[in-house]
Amino acid sequence: MEKISEVMAPSFRRPSSLPDKNGYFGEFGGRFVSESLMEALYELENSFRTAWKDKAFHREMESVYKDFVGRPSPLYFAAALTEKIGGARLYLKREDLNHTGAHKINNTVGQALLARRMGKRRLIAETGAGQHGVATATVAARYDFECEIYMGSEDVRRQALNVFRMNLLGATVRPVEQGTKTLKDAISEALRDWSQSVLTTHYVLGTAFGPHPFPLMVRSFQSVIGQEARKQILRKEGRLPDALVACVGGGSNAMGLFYPFLSDHQCALWGMEAGGRSMEPGEHAARFQTGRVGVLQGSKTYVLQDEDGQIEKTHSVSAGLDYSAVGPELAYYRDSGRIVFSSVSDEEAMEAFEMLSRTEGILPALESAHAIAGAIRLARQMDSSRIILVNLSGRGDKDVMEVARIKGVTLT
Amino acid sequence: MKTGTAGERSTHKKVIPYLMAGDPNLGVTEKLLRAAKKEGVWAVELGVPFSDPTADGPVIQEAAQRSLCPSTSLRSLLSWLETIPVGERPAIYLMTYFNLFLAMGLENFVSSARRTGGIRGAVIPDLSFEDAGPVRKAFHPAGLSLIPFVSLTTSETRMKRIVARSEDFIYLVSLLGTTGKELSETGTLSLMVDRIRSQTESPVCVGFGIQSPAVAGKVLQFADGVIVGSRLVREETDPENWQKLLSAFCAVARTSTEPSGVMC
Repeated sequence: MEKISEVMAPSFRRPSSLPDKNGYFGEFGGRFVSESLMEALYELENSFRTAWKDKAFHREMESVYKDFVGRPSPLYFAAALTEKIGGARLYLKREDLNHTGAHKINNTVGQALLARRMGKRRLIAETGAGQHGVATATVAARYDFECEIYMGSEDVRRQALNVFRMNLLGATVRPVEQGTKTLKDAISEALRDWSQSVLTTHYVLGTAFGPHPFPLMVRSFQSVIGQEARKQILRKEGRLPDALVACVGGGSNAMGLFYPFLSDHQCALWGMEAGGRSMEPGEHAARFQTGRVGVLQGSKTYVLQDEDGQIEKTHSVSAGLDYSAVGPELAYYRDSGRIVFSSVSDEEAMEAFEMLSRTEGILPALESAHAIAGAIRLARQMDSSRIILVNLSGRGDKDVMEVARIKGVTLT
Repeated sequence: MKTGTAGERSTHKKVIPYLMAGDPNLGVTEKLLRAAKKEGVWAVELGVPFSDPTADGPVIQEAAQRSLCPSTSLRSLLSWLETIPVGERPAIYLMTYFNLFLAMGLENFVSSARRTGGIRGAVIPDLSFEDAGPVRKAFHPAGLSLIPFVSLTTSETRMKRIVARSEDFIYLVSLLGTTGKELSETGTLSLMVDRIRSQTESPVCVGFGIQSPAVAGKVLQFADGVIVGSRLVREETDPENWQKLLSAFCAVARTSTEPSGVMC
């Protein structure tokens, strides 16, 4: 079991120049895509950097965050869960209360406003469980973009409800039949679409992954989570938390929470990956546990792969964590020791899901249940003078059918 | 420095067939390589299957799947190639995604490629010019070429930077999108070829969309060569047909000359 004392990094300073001009965080990142997309990536980077310096852009984004998304999201003291665990005090950053039910909308709002500035008429996106697809379809409806969502046919089958939600919002869902028919293949297909539609289309990548500038841009849009959380905990407790915990798929909710805390060395940062059924190849998505540095879908980072470099299949009870690679910025902070990663099994995540539901009356997304499980593990090693802040990145409504299936309950 | 006849423009038009190694098995790949040699192609692009080929359309994706099962790897492919004498196979550019090179290790790849012989370089569709520094550094001292890509979306400034380094040829991607689509209009493409040629002595070969000998003929009126991918890959399971079709492409190349006739 990890010890909280091991993860302090007292001398750490957040580098201000990352990523560098070619999109590298140390050795991780880059733009590993076909030449057809390169000019589009430069155009996107320039537009993003210009917008990010523009007060009017921020004013508009903040107003949409407030009135459309429902920000700031509350920071909630989970008193009942804290009492049940009997250790550190647990605070939950309630991203599950955002419009569309997860942190994903912070990013899609930002990218839609940017795409509008760039004069693009069409948005495309990949989605796994459907949360990012719904969040993209939502902003496409709101800002009148044509919208197509790529989704592995296996996920289309498992997440029929989200497919219908996207349809109701006016988006077309394109089932992807290639490869493993899941998130990874949906990203490949979205990249293929973008390479031919790049003049009129913006690709709304859903996580802090892919070619530069996506990791920078998505982290920037998501860092509103950490900025709010930092202010909120200072107001409530008069001090910063001892540890922050987030689940890690591609890494957008984790980078969004952690980024504003990187220089606060009293705060330990913990990322929880999907431990799945076991550490055997194909049975989990814990890239930092068994992955090696490689290149997948635009980015150099830790990748689950075999000896020859073929990408391994992954498994997780939560579709949002079920992916073979991880955001390059997280890879950088992992190697520099600033962020520590651990994994949470399907079973532990399910237990945390049920515990949070029963004690606090909050159904977490199965992704977020990994963060809750990791936080419970840490809280048990600490006393009640300690504070842990957990990113509750999404709500569990989307997972109700899957949980019923796992528990062997038939719903009619 | 360039090796052999590569890297020089000539009046001889180049046909570069792309074939997926191990589709449907290496026995067939050997037949196709020998057939290509007999046909006198300038070089072949030998594809190595990757699980997640983001730049390829359905035809090449399916060929990769056929080859991956049971399994063709970069390392095993290079050792297998050694079993065919260099003189009995055409010059080869290996074509696959960057992760396979990384997994093997660039130095390992370079030394294996030299041992195998007849490997002129590599075509790596997901390796951008900006990210390619370490690869060029490993390849060039060994006489291996890293083929640079230019696409129709590439700006003038960027194109100049890309083609400034002399490599065996420039790979001009003829259309937006993935492999396997049909090229229809060639006006823009022809202008792009002229622009590239004004910057470099390296031959400009056009790939993507060369779906018939007729299209090849049209493109060869202004370009130095064509890369024929999906159209031939579709015939890989039938070596006889493949060879016939390749002959048709080569026949077009032999009769193609540039209208102005000023090539040198």
